[in-house]
Amino acid sequence: MRAIQAILVRNLIKLFRDKMRFFFTLFMSGFLLFTFSFVMKSAVAGLAHPMNYLISGIVIMMVFQSALNNSMGILEDISSGFMKEILVAPIARWQISVGQVLSSTVIATLQGVLVLVLGFFLGLRLDPFHFLLMVTLMLLVGLTFSSLGLYLAALAKESTTFQVLISVVTMPLTFLSGAYIPTTVLPSILRPVVYLNPLTYATSMFRYAALHMESMSTAELLKSGVAFDIHGFVVLPMDGVFITLAIGAVFFALCVRQFRKADFSRVTVFKRGGHR
Amino acid sequence: MAANSIEVERFTKKYGDFAAVDDISFSVQEGSIFAFLGPNGAGKSTTINTLCTIQDKTGGTLRINGNDVTERKAEVRRDIGIVFQECTLDQKLTVRENLNLHCDFYDVPKAEVKERIRFVLDLVDIEEWKDAPVSALSGGLKRRTEIARGLVHYPKVLFLDEPTTGLDPQTRASVWEYIRELQKRKNITIFLTTHYLEEAEICDSVAIIDHGKIVAHDTPYNLKKQNTKTRTRIATSDPAGILRYCAEHSLAAVGENGGLAITSTEIGPVMDLVALFKSSILDLEISKGTLDDVFLSLTGKEIRN
Repeated sequence: MRAIQAILVRNLIKLFRDKMRFFFTLFMSGFLLFTFSFVMKSAVAGLAHPMNYLISGIVIMMVFQSALNNSMGILEDISSGFMKEILVAPIARWQISVGQVLSSTVIATLQGVLVLVLGFFLGLRLDPFHFLLMVTLMLLVGLTFSSLGLYLAALAKESTTFQVLISVVTMPLTFLSGAYIPTTVLPSILRPVVYLNPLTYATSMFRYAALHMESMSTAELLKSGVAFDIHGFVVLPMDGVFITLAIGAVFFALCVRQFRKADFSRVTVFKRGGHR
Repeated sequence: MAANSIEVERFTKKYGDFAAVDDISFSVQEGSIFAFLGPNGAGKSTTINTLCTIQDKTGGTLRINGNDVTERKAEVRRDIGIVFQECTLDQKLTVRENLNLHCDFYDVPKAEVKERIRFVLDLVDIEEWKDAPVSALSGGLKRRTEIARGLVHYPKVLFLDEPTTGLDPQTRASVWEYIRELQKRKNITIFLTTHYLEEAEICDSVAIIDHGKIVAHDTPYNLKKQNTKTRTRIATSDPAGILRYCAEHSLAAVGENGGLAITSTEIGPVMDLVALFKSSILDLEISKGTLDDVFLSLTGKEIRN
């Protein structure tokens, strides 16, 4: 427990020490939020809760991308040599993974919450219950995508390879999740991908919570694209909790395995002497 | 007799068909300083990395304090401290934060953390830098910080992989001072790799490794005694007499710069000669072989290239 906490605290210290990076990631979301709030509020869109609709999309994308990208940290640790210090320490490999995933989740959620707070100034309306529900969902989504990110990072071992992997993964996950393009308009051949995509459920849970859809009937939920009918098996928005967790658990297990077998000792960018 | 801290039996590490380390065996006594001496690429770091549990072996058995390094990784990791060749500090954290983090990783009792950090900072003399970010430190200070970190959990065995490479002579000397200070204050086993011969000179035992094989393992004194010759230079008023004596007693002697140079494995015959020709000897210089000579005679090449 102590090692996990130490890794978490270290990563948070580093985050606050690197203020530039922290604020620039927030700046992007703030910018999107600000400009789109005008579009959404205009009469053309005609939505009941324009800010809620917009926020749910921006926050989920923020948490998703931040969680994936935070794993860059371990690549920095590998190239700076610090990973060796972690690997020779008497810490179980799963504890290293937990520490990293937890750090990345906390940071992603923190950024998501800050965007929510920003939203309040721009006309977002949320009661405390829905606010807390959204934060919980952020943590959940953060855990899943941090595990995925960490797995990709441990697989890539180098930041250039990781960047390529991330963009290869981000694009299809984003566009086949219903975050931008409603899943209802996608051709049926892409449906299996949509259903396997953890971001699909993350998005629908978020919309459901942000837009107060609790009172809707199953048929209405299906029509709004937040519930899914997979060959007669109906997945309701909150079932997504389990699906997201399950997918997260798979990637987490893969991470631990990768940490156990990967030989990071030979991946070193900076050398003092240059001898072997 | 003290127990062995490190035991290596028939250790082999292959990369494809290439054997970086080829069937080596050695042991290191508890509380001693052991040096692994060899040119670049001889297999020194491979051996250290395997002993430190971060690389897998191809064959053989390696034990630290009786714990197998592949089967009992957690115990081995708990018992060792390592200073790697390259800097493995977190550059964005301060010296103290790095040490604190290390204490958390090694589960140092919380009540002792402060005191221990003070002890190691004092040992390597870096108290005044404790709140500086590592990235702002010079190479020598980083090295000292790493040595302090490698010690703060009170390891039983300390590995130093080329601890002084890339440091200026003055800093190198002070790093050695800290290592010896440590040896005095805590009875820990030190395993170091180096390609500086003068550093190997002060160790309790030295293993010379070349092309993945150990070619010799003994105390520096014995290595020199067994593999080098003693050179005696004599300035004398009776060169002919001494040369004749040498020929009779099968001592190799040649005339050199107006004097004589005698090379011998034993010092005894030379002492006899000196006693006999005492009155005609004007000056005398006896020099023992160096580890450089040992290395040259065992591997057929100079260590630094």
